[in-house]
Amino acid sequence: MTLVEIKEGNVAEIKKLSGGRSFIEKIQGFGLFVGSKVRLERKAPFRGPLLVEDIENDARIMIGRGMAAKVEVEVLESKKS
Amino acid sequence: MNHKKTGEITIALAGQPNCGKSTIFNAVAGFRVNTGNFAGTTVSFTETQVHFEGQTFRLIDLPGTYSISSHDPAEKVARDFLLSGQADVVINVVDSSLLSRSLEFTLQLLEMNVPMVIALNMFDDAQKKGIEIDTRKLQELTGAEAYPVVAVRGIGIPELFRAVLKLTRGGFHPVPPVYDRDVEEDIQKLQENYPAALKTSLPIDPRFVIIRLLEMDKAFEQKAEEIDPDFSRLAAETRRRSAELHNWPEENVFSSHRHAIVLNLFEQVTRVRPRSRLAVAERLDRFLINPIGGFLGVMVLFLLMFSAAFGLGNFISELLEGPLVAGGNALGGFFSGIALVIVSGLYSGMVAGAGIVLPYLIPLLLMMAIFEDTGLLPRIAFMVDGILHRFGLHGKSVVPLILGYGCSVPALMATRNLENPRDRVRTMLIIPFIACSARTVIILALAGKYLGAFATTLIYLGNLAIALGVCFLLSRSGAKADPGIIMDVPRLRMPPGRIILKKVWLRLYEFLAFAWIVIIISSLALAFLSYLGIDQAINGTLAPLSSGVLRLPREIGITLFLGIFRKELTLIMLAQALGTSNISTLLSHTQILVLVVFTVLYIPCIATLSTLWKEGGWKLAAGSVLLNTTVAVVIAGAIAWTAVLL
Repeated sequence: MTLVEIKEGNVAEIKKLSGGRSFIEKIQGFGLFVGSKVRLERKAPFRGPLLVEDIENDARIMIGRGMAAKVEVEVLESKKS
Repeated sequence: MNHKKTGEITIALAGQPNCGKSTIFNAVAGFRVNTGNFAGTTVSFTETQVHFEGQTFRLIDLPGTYSISSHDPAEKVARDFLLSGQADVVINVVDSSLLSRSLEFTLQLLEMNVPMVIALNMFDDAQKKGIEIDTRKLQELTGAEAYPVVAVRGIGIPELFRAVLKLTRGGFHPVPPVYDRDVEEDIQKLQENYPAALKTSLPIDPRFVIIRLLEMDKAFEQKAEEIDPDFSRLAAETRRRSAELHNWPEENVFSSHRHAIVLNLFEQVTRVRPRSRLAVAERLDRFLINPIGGFLGVMVLFLLMFSAAFGLGNFISELLEGPLVAGGNALGGFFSGIALVIVSGLYSGMVAGAGIVLPYLIPLLLMMAIFEDTGLLPRIAFMVDGILHRFGLHGKSVVPLILGYGCSVPALMATRNLENPRDRVRTMLIIPFIACSARTVIILALAGKYLGAFATTLIYLGNLAIALGVCFLLSRSGAKADPGIIMDVPRLRMPPGRIILKKVWLRLYEFLAFAWIVIIISSLALAFLSYLGIDQAINGTLAPLSSGVLRLPREIGITLFLGIFRKELTLIMLAQALGTSNISTLLSHTQILVLVVFTVLYIPCIATLSTLWKEGGWKLAAGSVLLNTTVAVVIAGAIAWTAVLL
């Protein structure tokens, strides 16, 4: 499952960053590593970016869908929505 | 930026974006700063001189970088600057409230082995979040002195400079990260085989080069390949085996090792308590990222911006007009002949500059600073990125585009927020198409008066469509895949007024020190040209365009030419050129439409051009002239000739 596919409010752990060197560098620069836990706060309208909370760093990051589709995750807590 | 005065200490501010580097910079900068681009790039830096305890410092604000790789142009430029040895000391600015993430970059700086001091900025925010940082422990584990700083209130900055002074006398003993045993063995082995030729061509710490190779850094790989292909192969082989051993992808095996060290370091230097939340800001924020609330918020903010640009701008502009014109006329009483030409040329240049600065630049720069420093910018970007993406733009382009309706100059300055050079260039090329307030006045005065409200609205919307259309075409031509947006969404906060005002002043200074001078010089040139009576010559030269392509009277040539200096001049001089203030007696409705469309789209004004030149280089400015003029000629020409054929 990728970050784009999970529901708003769900908490997930990053399992794999499946992209090239520059993608990995970029996303890790924002503190998202394999093993990081994130909460998907919101998906922007008109196929806009995702608003993600990096739980360990207590930071919020917006990630475009293209990039988020390369982040493989496993849902830890799902929230009914 | 290569010259270095003796006795001057050069400090580079390095850190991740939004860590408050620029706040520290602005807090200590005098009233003058220099901005420029790194040679051959659109990556800009800012520098200033600081005097502290009898010592002169040259302070350079490097672009914010998340890491030091070669993949991102800004990061490469910042790293190359740090490696060049031009900085005596580096101040690593860290967002304390995001300490663990910031430490990734700190460790990379330690590996570069440049003398550095750590500025734990936003120390108060970290405390609010419940993060207690043991600065002494951090010092012990990194070898770099660390100081708590709250840049917006000036806290901790003198201590930083004192620490820098101390470091310049020597005694920097960094404690670079020590990796797991197998990684260290790999590094050791590569160090033993490190080719002498590589050492001479890359005069930096071999350990750093080896780590870059293990991290798959393109620039270093190329260099190694060029100098010693065997060594490059050995490094690649080592990396592959390490990746297999740990069952990690090759691309991030090394950074994962560093990440583990960072997590460990973070745990050792901090104590995290449960935090107390800022309820009001949090609630407002929840509203702003909600689809309905977000768009509502965006609309309100844009309306505010529009009214600031128009209402306030035009109000101030009208207030100033009377006295300024009277002043210009009064000059005739004191001077005559060539002296009058020079004085009135200088005067009108200064007036033209002031006519931009006071009514438009100041309110818009203020707005821009507020957008940036409160954290509203990323929230707006979040809401509109999806839409702008379709036109090949970026969520962050939205603020420059909106500012463009006020004045192109601050809009171009605002593109600095776009880190990706391609996005930035594209946005800079679009801005001159957008009808700024000066051109809106022309639309209203000509189209509004003679063509009616419907046509005026249509022209306005058509203008936006053309801007977005050009952007769409530009994005098609640059066929590179879009990496997509990724940006921090910091907490909403209220920056102190002093910080905002300083920021506005420093940007205003940049305009005054460059663009204003260009405007004054060109006004002087213009005064001479009209003194020499070249109106006729210009009308003649432009005749193929004005009467040929656009089918307008040839007398309009001079007004189009003057419009390059200040767009309003086209309007002001029109009556004079045609010899009547009732334009509709001489021009048909189609001709008025053609004139308005052409004036709005063709060559950007001198102030815009000089800002383009400064922000993106002369090639970009020339490209912009070409692009705008081509689009203007094609569209206005098409309207003129369609009317003839129909």
